[in-house]
Amino acid sequence: MSKKISRRQFIKFTAGTATAAGVAPKLHRMLQEPFVHPPEDLLPGQATWYASTCRQCSAGCGIIVRVINGRAKKIEGNPLYPLNRGKLCARGQAGLQALYHPDRLRNAVRQTGGRGSRQFEPLYWDEALDLLAEKIGSLSDPGRLAVLGGLLPDHLYRLLSLLLDSLGSPPPVTFDLHSALEGRGAAARLAQLTLGSAELPVYDLEGADVVFSFGANFLETWMSPVAQSLAYGNMRQGPFGGRGFLVQFEPRLSATAASADRWIPLRPGTEGFVALALGRIIVEERLGHAGSHRPHAALYQDVDVTEMAEASQVPIETLRQLAQLFADAEHPVAIPGGSLAGQQNGGPGMLAVQALNRVVAQFGRVGGVFLSSPGPSGALRRTAKADSFSSVQDLIGRMKAGEVDLLLVVGANPVFELPSAAGFAEAIERVPYVVCFNSFVDETGARADLILPDHTYLESWGYQVPHPGADRPAVSSQQPVVRPVHDTRASADVFLALASRLGGRPAEVLPWPDEVSFLEETVRELHGSSLGAYTADTPAGFFALWRQYGGWWSEKELPLEPEVPDPGAQPLPIVPPLFEGNQQTYPFHLYPYPSVALSDGRGAALPWLQETPDPMTTARWGTWVELNPEAARSLGVEDNDIVRVISPYGELEAPVVVFPGIQPEVVAIPVGQGHTDYGRFAQQRGSNPMDLVAPVVDSESGSLAWGATRVRLEPTGRKQALARLESLDGAGRETLG
Amino acid sequence: MAQAAKPSAEPGRRWGLVVDLDRCTGCQACVVACQAENNVPVAGEKQAGYGRWMHWIIIHRYWEGEYPNIKARFMPVMCQQCDEAPCEPVCPVFATYHNPEGLNAQIYNRCIGTRFCGNACPYKVRTYNWFRPEFPAPLTEQLNPDVTVRSRGIMEKCTFCIQRIRRAELDARAQGREVADGEIQPACVQTCPPEALIFGDLNDPESRVSQLARSRRSFRLLEELGTDPGVIYLKGGETNA
Repeated sequence: MSKKISRRQFIKFTAGTATAAGVAPKLHRMLQEPFVHPPEDLLPGQATWYASTCRQCSAGCGIIVRVINGRAKKIEGNPLYPLNRGKLCARGQAGLQALYHPDRLRNAVRQTGGRGSRQFEPLYWDEALDLLAEKIGSLSDPGRLAVLGGLLPDHLYRLLSLLLDSLGSPPPVTFDLHSALEGRGAAARLAQLTLGSAELPVYDLEGADVVFSFGANFLETWMSPVAQSLAYGNMRQGPFGGRGFLVQFEPRLSATAASADRWIPLRPGTEGFVALALGRIIVEERLGHAGSHRPHAALYQDVDVTEMAEASQVPIETLRQLAQLFADAEHPVAIPGGSLAGQQNGGPGMLAVQALNRVVAQFGRVGGVFLSSPGPSGALRRTAKADSFSSVQDLIGRMKAGEVDLLLVVGANPVFELPSAAGFAEAIERVPYVVCFNSFVDETGARADLILPDHTYLESWGYQVPHPGADRPAVSSQQPVVRPVHDTRASADVFLALASRLGGRPAEVLPWPDEVSFLEETVRELHGSSLGAYTADTPAGFFALWRQYGGWWSEKELPLEPEVPDPGAQPLPIVPPLFEGNQQTYPFHLYPYPSVALSDGRGAALPWLQETPDPMTTARWGTWVELNPEAARSLGVEDNDIVRVISPYGELEAPVVVFPGIQPEVVAIPVGQGHTDYGRFAQQRGSNPMDLVAPVVDSESGSLAWGATRVRLEPTGRKQALARLESLDGAGRETLG
Repeated sequence: MAQAAKPSAEPGRRWGLVVDLDRCTGCQACVVACQAENNVPVAGEKQAGYGRWMHWIIIHRYWEGEYPNIKARFMPVMCQQCDEAPCEPVCPVFATYHNPEGLNAQIYNRCIGTRFCGNACPYKVRTYNWFRPEFPAPLTEQLNPDVTVRSRGIMEKCTFCIQRIRRAELDARAQGREVADGEIQPACVQTCPPEALIFGDLNDPESRVSQLARSRRSFRLLEELGTDPGVIYLKGGETNA
């Protein structure tokens, strides 16, 4: 409705019309012809639901979107899809705001005032593609082209890999902070070592009666939080009346730990020690009923329980109780999580946790560890691996050495997500031409010469193989639920158009005219499988059903027991954690953690997610520093006092939240804020803890050891009222304000 | 007034919501789902800094104990849809009234913004539009056409997604059948990942909510006030047995 018409004018107007209608002579009856005929399948006010895939994180939940008159109104979980069964998290619900965000890029742009000037000039797509083709064509050596990707959709990763391969360029390097914080790379490596497969395992929470989670915040952001929450609910109040027991081991009481029956605080990097001590006690004291522990004795021969207890600060008595609990359980399971993986001893630590599952013989048993069966979806499973941080460091090295002439950044925001000490922002200055494919001008886009905005996921085609998977082979399909809101173009289509422009080998390897024909051909591999929940006579019919139902999955459950390779009698490695910064100057451990709402920062552009309170602190719209009450007292600071957090690599300022659920030597800061670009709701708000993080890796998997930095705190004497739901009036800690 | 029951409402029902605190993980999915479904505006950083919010569901977090033996507990609180609602008798313009299905309804067109209802509510679940809500274009494209966008000076609160109740009832009537138990799902119930929220008719003794309401874990918020809420909580940390 026009804002210009006041209520009074409206009444005058309608009264006038009514009078005119009353006095008019009887008119000749004629069918009214509308200016535009709506499509036949469009009923005004009637909703149409389209099935697609959520891309707010890497879990790959199936969604259905309510569309009225061509506008997307509401996202819900796809009730048929076996992974999330109709459920969706806060980030998934907020996806509509990414689609209709006021600050999205509306067309291809070129940065004219030099990098960082943020002066953009619109370009026609043909011009933009010519420009990109010319840049690739004029490379002196195809090896001087580099691609950095984020959470790439499976089909885009395949197309991109084919293109780069045909050009003779190195394959895409992928990095995203969300995957690094959940330890995805380290988990894949662990699965390779202990389960003989790079598939990420599924921990059967629903069937378990005792769950030991070592830093896996599986109800918030870790791996597949919706599927895990669903299983958690059934573990708590399942159909058979039992109630599972959850113990969470981590330095900070996360929302997952809040849901646990016991939270065991420990020193960062000692999760593995606790697992070793528990294993040693079980084997040595012959606890439980899983048969002989003799084959496991060698694993723990070097473990000294007293030492482990001292290093982790978990009392021996507690360890003994927990060992008894775990061993006596019918279906126990131990989960190696993200906070464990973010340490320089992440690999050995995760190995120690997985060894607990071996000791109680829970591989392939109810409530234990399973793999997802790929079924006939094998061909679609050529998924983008989360590359290790070391490969990103290699790329940064090449960029700094001037060995990269053209950098394509696809679905990633490395300037924001990488530790600033890794030097990406400096390295990108050495690259003569940078092309970015994100839908927003983010921190990386502001340093690009050319931005070719991709559609948002609700306007895109694709598919996703969940990883870790469901209890059966499953692939979810992705289709546009509305027509593109702006003049954006699918990155897959851009690469296909590029290949045909370049001609020669790229055009041969990528013969598809567009993304959809590529998908049709790929999806055909699933057609005719006897496992499928539906069948179709023709490939075209199958493709229609694939879009209608939101993917393909097996009708029956098909859990896959891992074929566990023989570990031999090697004792488990005992590797103490290492930290950057010495203990005298930097007395605290920095613990950056993913925010439930903003995850690694990609949610920061959406006002709904900014407004969502952090479950533990009830804080919104900002960055804060969590301190144990004891540590706060010793520093002489209280809630809302701004402190300066200094690491050997950088510093930031943020208000304090006195947080009773944190180990006294640990300082926790949520990741996600501190954007300088990325739209009006994200920018100039809070600080980015990645500015503090040391660019060190877990030596085993090469993944970023984001928890291995020490910091010190300095009170600034200033205050900032952090937006919190919880009232700080009086001594009470009531939530209502 | 009650005898002239609206034909779309089904008398004899009492809609109720069960919140299983043993399943709730405090994940905030319900909060955002509600915001998307009901055109709930965003308060913004400045107003949030004053402790204001516009959400229809607030997840309370309570601490118990001291480090290291500390526990945090979550409790989602939305309008309790009381049968003896303290907000109803205080409204001078009958903007908040009791509908024949036991819902505590808010009629935005009548509301003149006295905020008496918000004062009277012991659960603090009513939010007031102090400002004109802003939806910078094209965010307006997302607004749900089934739900009125409230303007400045209007009190609002959880409606149990009355638009979804009506749609299910009308669909059922068009097909000549009764609404099945579990067919109506408010947005929060629909999305809740651990299935902590269950919606249904408390007057039907066979419905899932009625069965759960009879559990020995069940309690209602501030029961001693005699408000007779339609939201039933199930205590966490134990089984029904």
